[in-house]
Amino acid sequence: MSTNQSANSRRSVNSERAREEDRELLRRYHHDGDTGAREKLIQRHLPLVRSLARRYAGRGEALEDIEQVGAIGLIKAIDRFELEREVSLATYATPNVVGEIKRHFRDKGWAIRVPRALQELNASMSGAIERLTGRLGRSPSIAEIAEELKTSPEEVLEAMEVGSAYSTVSLSTGPSGEDELDPLETIGGEDAGFERSEDRAALQPALERLAPREREILRMRFEEGLPQTQIAQRVGLSQMHVSRLIRKSLAVMREELLR
Amino acid sequence: MNEHQERIDLEAPLSGDFQAVVRLIVGGIAEGVDFAFEEIDDLQLAVERLLAEAGTTGTVCLSFEVGQNRIRARIGPLSEAKVAEALKDGELIPGQLTLRRILGTVVDSFGVDHAADGGIVVRLEKLKGPA
Repeated sequence: MSTNQSANSRRSVNSERAREEDRELLRRYHHDGDTGAREKLIQRHLPLVRSLARRYAGRGEALEDIEQVGAIGLIKAIDRFELEREVSLATYATPNVVGEIKRHFRDKGWAIRVPRALQELNASMSGAIERLTGRLGRSPSIAEIAEELKTSPEEVLEAMEVGSAYSTVSLSTGPSGEDELDPLETIGGEDAGFERSEDRAALQPALERLAPREREILRMRFEEGLPQTQIAQRVGLSQMHVSRLIRKSLAVMREELLR
Repeated sequence: MNEHQERIDLEAPLSGDFQAVVRLIVGGIAEGVDFAFEEIDDLQLAVERLLAEAGTTGTVCLSFEVGQNRIRARIGPLSEAKVAEALKDGELIPGQLTLRRILGTVVDSFGVDHAADGGIVVRLEKLKGPA
């Protein structure tokens, strides 16, 4: 057997073993409700998400944000996987991850034509804010962000506005317009907080437009009073992404209340 | 000692098309006081939510007093009765996500003045956090 044939054979065995391990974890999750198995599956396939997310880098969105969105697609794939399927989880998850990323770009809906340079500046701001927040121990000023990115404060402000451009469609709304289950509901746990409101009857439809993650972020911000930086740490998103979700969620809720 | 203050007045359409412009201006004013990213975002959100409740026709005046470590804004007159109703004093009920709760979270203080035409003017104050 040649060296190449030997390497191919080893890869094939490893791939088959990985597939079998995935199936066992999927069985434990779907049949036995073992959430630890679900977590292991997520961790095992995050490299796939990162690889797919990199294809969409440089389009005006921070890579880490694209990875977060892609991870949602992965979790949906794990949750929806039917054990009777003959395909591997990686094969099944790929279109889910790509679909979630594409939907994210579409939902973000640049309301106006945004110059590429500003989109790129917006994309790099997220990382700069995280770095500066870590280094300074507080939220950075615009001047500090500008210095970090070697640009002007005016351009940072413009780039912030680019990042706040969004459509009024909920991030949890699927392509058909129907609400889909947000897989990050594990972050939120049981519906608490705002849904205990005496105005529950009025607020309920508006809250239901939001994914559990978005409801939980609103609860952390407006009930616990946590700053965006802490919420970002808790939910594993960038501060800019948290800011966008808060604004968008409030807009979506108001739109629903006006119906 | 009197604190040095600058004032910026703006009259803007309530139409949503111009909200991005208002946000940008609010950001620029807050940057002038060296507010942190998060503080700017808070002030922008306060103004945005207030304007969202103020209807979509006509114009609104926004006046910003810029001090050394704070910004005071006056926004109005707003004729939408529900804005005044939403900002009325009273106990905040846990779990209610009202305009009062939102403003109470993102600015340091706010209040309502009654304008001559029967509308209201909302006062907001945002302080710069410790550096």
